Amino acid sequence: MTATELIKKVFFIEVLQGLALTFKHMVSHSVTRQYPTEKREPVPGARGLHALVRDSETGKEKCVGCGLCAAMCPSQCIHIYTSEGDDHKKVVDRYEIEVLRCVFCALCVEACPFGALALTDFFEYSGYTREEFYYKKERLLENWDKYMAGDKGREYFEKFWRPKAIDFRTPVTATSEERKSV
Amino acid sequence: MSVIGILLILLKTISVVAVFLIHVMFVQYFERKAIGHMQSRLGPMRVGWHGILQPIADSIKLFFKEDIIPASSDKPIFYIAPIIGVIAAVSSLAVIPLWEGFSIANLNVGILYILALSSVGAYSVILGGWASNSKYSFLGGLRSSAQVISYEISMGLSLVGVMMMAGSTNLSDIVSAQDGRWFVIPQIIGFTVFFISALAETNRVPFDLPEAETELVSGFATEYSGMRWALFFMAEYAGMFVMSALAVVCFFGGWSGPGFWIFAYVPPVIWFLIKVYGFIFLYFWIRATLPRYRYDQLMRLGWKIFIPVALANIVITGVVKILWK
Repeated sequence: MTATELIKKVFFIEVLQGLALTFKHMVSHSVTRQYPTEKREPVPGARGLHALVRDSETGKEKCVGCGLCAAMCPSQCIHIYTSEGDDHKKVVDRYEIEVLRCVFCALCVEACPFGALALTDFFEYSGYTREEFYYKKERLLENWDKYMAGDKGREYFEKFWRPKAIDFRTPVTATSEERKSV
Repeated sequence: MSVIGILLILLKTISVVAVFLIHVMFVQYFERKAIGHMQSRLGPMRVGWHGILQPIADSIKLFFKEDIIPASSDKPIFYIAPIIGVIAAVSSLAVIPLWEGFSIANLNVGILYILALSSVGAYSVILGGWASNSKYSFLGGLRSSAQVISYEISMGLSLVGVMMMAGSTNLSDIVSAQDGRWFVIPQIIGFTVFFISALAETNRVPFDLPEAETELVSGFATEYSGMRWALFFMAEYAGMFVMSALAVVCFFGGWSGPGFWIFAYVPPVIWFLIKVYGFIFLYFWIRATLPRYRYDQLMRLGWKIFIPVALANIVITGVVKILWK
């Protein structure tokens, strides 16, 4: 044992350094947020409760029932039931999400070619039964109106989950007649 | 002794114990706040203003909690173990002079009385650990007994220097003997040994091996719940208060404060409590800073370092006393 080591031991130098550190922390500001009264703004694009995008023109869901989201979903919590409607169009009868099974990976949002599904930044939901979290189509559309109304929803898709349909869609100028003629 | 004398002593006892138990409650709040801030947290905040009513809420909760007694425990000993701890800790208060002329019992063997009762307090831990009939409790109890054996000696020896300088073991006399020249300066070695031994004696971090949450669940108190656990808890904090008070009395001039300017008008009991709370804060501060000692390190420190150092301190004090007088 060298002399400096001995002095360090006898005068508790390292212990005193440790005490100084904890004292410094005591007089510095705490980092705690008092949650229910003092909330933190969710970061933009945070992944919270699900919502089905309501088309502002038709007032109905944008979803076409292709089932890509359900195929991508790693926890298999999206259930889609479709049927054939008038004019051989696909009609989404039921669109259901088991929120309690969801892992919030947002692969469904990424997969959707039409930007018809979103994860809102609302995360404070709770309930007493499992059934409350089995969300049907109407409830999911309501979520959109509630948490993603107005520009927020548009910005959400432009900034974070730009759907493939925007970049790869058929040019608007070319109508179906024109395409046939080409 | 007249009837009035007995009544007076009873009144003193009841008031001191009542005030003391409220202090114990709020010392726990103080600890949670202090350690919380040291860890950049806030500590209790939700019950009352800045959580000031938290200890009351905790007491009510503990009081009404189910008192679980393990089927295979040694029941009579299991019942009395926490009570021994509280009695030993609280009765140490009897000899502590809060201000000049005020102590419930002005014993001539004050220091010895406190040391004896702190050893009795260790029985509560040992018996509680034994009677629980559980591995963790048993290990906690064994550790406590070994720890007490090693640290009791160095603690007693470290106070011998003070006794030699004051020429008395009466706590009031020790305070009077200091008279502005606190014993902490000539007895700095004794004080260091005493303070560290007191940490071990009261089972506080870094010597909280009998409790050792990370290894032994909750050590000797694993099987205890509700009010019985609260009694152990109370005994620990009472022990801390008594050890802090003993340190203040023996090394920091007891109730005396600076006798000039407005300080002269502050009542002596306030000085005493300020010093005691300074020590209690030091306990918390150390708890927030240091990790727990390993068991062999603890033993080595006690037997190989503190006992020889405390003995050397006695020799030096004696030699200096002979040469100067």
